[in-house]
Amino acid sequence: MTTIKKFEKPIGMRDTFPVTYEKNETLRNIGRKFLRARGYEFVNTPTLEYYDTVGKASAIYDASLFKLVDSQGNTLVLRPDMTTPITRVATSKLLKEKIPLRLAYFANVFRAQQLEGGRPAEFDQMGIEIIGDKSVYADAEVIITAIQLVQNYSIESFKVTIGHAGILNCILNDYTENENQANKLRSLLIERNYVGFEEAVISFDLPKTKSDALLQFINEATNIETIEQIEKYVSKNDALLYMRQLAEIIQQADLTKYVSFDFTLSSHMNYYTGMLFELFADGSGFPLGNGGRYDGLLHHFGSDVGATGFGIRVDRLLEILPTQEPREKTVALIFEDALFTKALELANSLRNEGKLVTLQSKNGLINEEAFSLVFDEVLYVSQEDQLQ
Amino acid sequence: MTELTIAMPKGRIFEEAYQMLIDAGFNLPEEVEMSRKLMIEIPEEKIRFILAKPMDVPVYVEHGVVDIGIAGKDVLLEQKRHVHELLDLKISQCYIASAGLPNTKMNEIAPRIATKYPNVAMNYYKEIGEQVEIIELNGSIELAPMIGLADRIVDIVSTGRTLKENGLVEYERITDVSSRLIANPVSYRMKSARIQDIVTRLKKIVN
Repeated sequence: MTTIKKFEKPIGMRDTFPVTYEKNETLRNIGRKFLRARGYEFVNTPTLEYYDTVGKASAIYDASLFKLVDSQGNTLVLRPDMTTPITRVATSKLLKEKIPLRLAYFANVFRAQQLEGGRPAEFDQMGIEIIGDKSVYADAEVIITAIQLVQNYSIESFKVTIGHAGILNCILNDYTENENQANKLRSLLIERNYVGFEEAVISFDLPKTKSDALLQFINEATNIETIEQIEKYVSKNDALLYMRQLAEIIQQADLTKYVSFDFTLSSHMNYYTGMLFELFADGSGFPLGNGGRYDGLLHHFGSDVGATGFGIRVDRLLEILPTQEPREKTVALIFEDALFTKALELANSLRNEGKLVTLQSKNGLINEEAFSLVFDEVLYVSQEDQLQ
Repeated sequence: MTELTIAMPKGRIFEEAYQMLIDAGFNLPEEVEMSRKLMIEIPEEKIRFILAKPMDVPVYVEHGVVDIGIAGKDVLLEQKRHVHELLDLKISQCYIASAGLPNTKMNEIAPRIATKYPNVAMNYYKEIGEQVEIIELNGSIELAPMIGLADRIVDIVSTGRTLKENGLVEYERITDVSSRLIANPVSYRMKSARIQDIVTRLKKIVN
């Protein structure tokens, strides 16, 4: 253990400097306006939750949770995501007032990490949840809202990849001999280890029809334009019909060009029961967000009304966002002590014009020249010439 | 055509992989002058090569500063980074094995394993129900059993000659290793056409 220096912060924690803060605020306001206009109501939940409720139910790996102990000895966690706390509050309270619920959030979440730079341990997430609507239109609304939200930030180069947990399970179960094999393949897909998938299929020594089908599946299913291409792998079922409808709705919304299907898409979060998707954009090496239907999580909290939603990483959105619009004009008003009243008057009238006015006593300045440089405009209230 | 950035390990793997790309019909100059260069631009194919340490290739790919890369399976197993593993290029084939002095048993109380691959070694011994202590070394791993630092080593074996010359024998074969084509998850989607094209063409050369 090295001693901690005065300037250090815990690994992954970041300060927000003024420029980033403003960019973040602008982004938040745009998002809020956009989502409220679509009927989403913003909520917030506590930063601390019980490990036994939210911590365990959350999809985030246990090792990534910040844990604390309260005075009664209960383990607490810093919320690692917003979906789980919102599910808690919806199932215990809000669903009694309105169903389906359309909730939105913009909040900081915490994920512990010990690895290396480039991964904040605290970051903002923005997202929506539709709770209490099992129809395909709810899932379509989530995807469409995600796409339009990204468009709303003037991001043009992005993609949504949609999969379906149920269809993947069908395929893995149908073409393997037992559950172990299916699970092995699923975990390789979660790692996106396509080479490992092929090796595993060969090592299982399956009947040739089955192994051929799986090998062909892994080659084809990662990038599918239309649902018809997957139909040869699965017997007609509800999930397939569901995905067809989903594709149709997206087409009706004229957003097909942003969407592709990947039926190998799989998540370690076993509460994703149906459609799931990931959001990618040029400009960040990491996915921008993800979402899907999580009826399983609702079930865990004792409700069977179903839920679907998405979350976007605000830190990555900030990284991607095109250059921001010019800021408001900043003005420094440097006054001599005797003329404070006059300076105050002037400052107020400038502020009413929408300028950002800093009122600064000349006596309080250590380096007037350096201070003046950081403003768009500098005004002096002094004896000699009253005002310049 | 979109620009594609490829991270390659320096040295023999680069030469072999480069030849595979030529065989796959990519329009690359036969000879590349790469004495101290870290970047090679191929404007004809809109490809840029980044030459990196083998251990660093998955780092570049995960962070998305390059789109795809060629990395050893040993490195991928050790680092567990979020990258897509697309294709086994079947070059620089070897395997990871445990080795030690002949006719020795591991210390019963605290068996010690010296290795360059602490995670791979730890996972392997966990899997077989053995709790071991890992000592991480950066090279000349074979020394460890000889001078009494460790009971076993876990290391890459290609011909087995180094082990033999140092009086060590192989105990368990842990996993096979070869070079893999890996992709950044975002690039895999945003540049899917280009990446799929490379995969398909290289696949033909591999098989």
